[in-house]
Amino acid sequence: MQKNSNEVMVELIKVRKFYPPDVKALKDVSLSVAKGELLFLTGLSGAGKTTLLRLLYRVERPDRGLVEIDGMDVTRLSGKKLQILRRRIGIVYQDFKLLPKQSVARNIALPMEITGRKKSFIRKRTRDLLERLGLKDKINAKAGDLSRGEQQRVAVARSLCNNPDLILADEPTGNLDAENSDRVMELFNEHRDQGATILIATHDSRIYGLGRHRVVVLANGHIIGAGIKRNPAPDNGDCHQ
Amino acid sequence: MNFLLTILSQTGRNLLQTWGSQLLNLITISLSVLIFSFFLLTYTNMIQAGKQLGDDLRLIAYLDEEPSPALQKEYKRKILKFDAVKKIAFVSRKEAFERFKQELGTDRDVLADMPEDFLPPSIEVYPRRSLHSLTRIKAFSDYLLTMPGVLKVQYGRQWIERFYSFVRLMRIVVILSGSLLILTSTFMIARTIRLTLLSRQRELELLRLCGASSAYIRAPYFLEGALQGLLGAALGLAALYVLYTWITLQFSGSALFSFFPFTFFPLPVIAIIVALSTLFCAGGSFSSTRKILQV
Repeated sequence: MQKNSNEVMVELIKVRKFYPPDVKALKDVSLSVAKGELLFLTGLSGAGKTTLLRLLYRVERPDRGLVEIDGMDVTRLSGKKLQILRRRIGIVYQDFKLLPKQSVARNIALPMEITGRKKSFIRKRTRDLLERLGLKDKINAKAGDLSRGEQQRVAVARSLCNNPDLILADEPTGNLDAENSDRVMELFNEHRDQGATILIATHDSRIYGLGRHRVVVLANGHIIGAGIKRNPAPDNGDCHQ
Repeated sequence: MNFLLTILSQTGRNLLQTWGSQLLNLITISLSVLIFSFFLLTYTNMIQAGKQLGDDLRLIAYLDEEPSPALQKEYKRKILKFDAVKKIAFVSRKEAFERFKQELGTDRDVLADMPEDFLPPSIEVYPRRSLHSLTRIKAFSDYLLTMPGVLKVQYGRQWIERFYSFVRLMRIVVILSGSLLILTSTFMIARTIRLTLLSRQRELELLRLCGASSAYIRAPYFLEGALQGLLGAALGLAALYVLYTWITLQFSGSALFSFFPFTFFPLPVIAIIVALSTLFCAGGSFSSTRKILQV
């Protein structure tokens, strides 16, 4: 169930982002995501999904338009305020952004150390998440030694470790088999149930085909369709716009 | 508390991961501190010896004849007119002869056939500390020569000139080696930390994206620099102490050391050297992180 559905967590109004020389990543995109909502962004490669997420965690600024998270204009945030906002966001990067020479445990502990969690909490949370994702035995392995699928699950665990208010996941199941995809989605759903807002950019119809949630379709920088996915299942899950 | 623990463990991890370059830095800083503190120790001991020499310094004005009490008074007045002095002593021919005899010790027999008044009478002037600079002593000597009846003025001029020249040279060497210490500690640490930061761009980017504060990212590197400065200075000074002990043992009982005691730095000076080294290294690290980390 969605919680606080009347409150907006993410708001994009007429957001435009072009890259030189002539890449039009987002063209006047407007989107509103309620608190506690799970939303899927789908579309072909190059549709603008990743750019949209990058604008949200403020590694990019829009050329035009408004990008707000929990009422804060992220384009204007800097310094301490931006740091605090980023601590509230869990991100699964498309390229994972793991530290290959560091252990799995250390990779997951990083955001928790930043927020000043106790060692005992960090150890417990890391073990719990790895167990849930089927990586319990990899806790001391170096992240660089893991398979792509395992690395992706470590990235998922790192994004969830701080129980963030907002989770931005870019292709979080791109390298996973069905069983592990389910594990990841189960964790995401649990966090949503606890009040987290989740935006998942994906091509994987298996994951957005299940459950009740909104699916937004991007193409060439435009939102070409949005609707609520109601029925539990078919692989080609269609949207009710 | 958690922040501090995290910073400390991150610093420990950094040191372990780059132990090779850390060791090289440590050796370089230790050597710089050793060189600088060696010259500083020599310099401070020379200054001390200079002070001791100054305490014994006197200008001897040889007179053509024994001054009468009235003339002695006049001489005193003239000398004090130039500057206040610690002490003025008149040495008669007889007193000079007695002193000479005592100085000869067992060889005093050589004076057996000599008349007791063959040595000239003199005025011994003990200048104050303010007069101890070489130029003042020279000026005082020239002034004494202008007094009537003064034949010659002696104060070990050549020796004092050489001593002061050497002290001046030592001062330059101390300044140069101090600059070397500052340059090595600041720039080497800055360079090493810059290289480390460049090789960890990925990690730093991730820290920023996870909302790490500027202090959180910079503190381990700052601490790393400070630690290197602290350890480098401690090692350098420890090596100097070993060297000092060896020198004092080797030359113990020698005439030079019995005249000028060779002492090690007092604790406050040691603390200042360690603190400065730590400060410069931390400063180098700070400037490096500030340039590279645009958080």
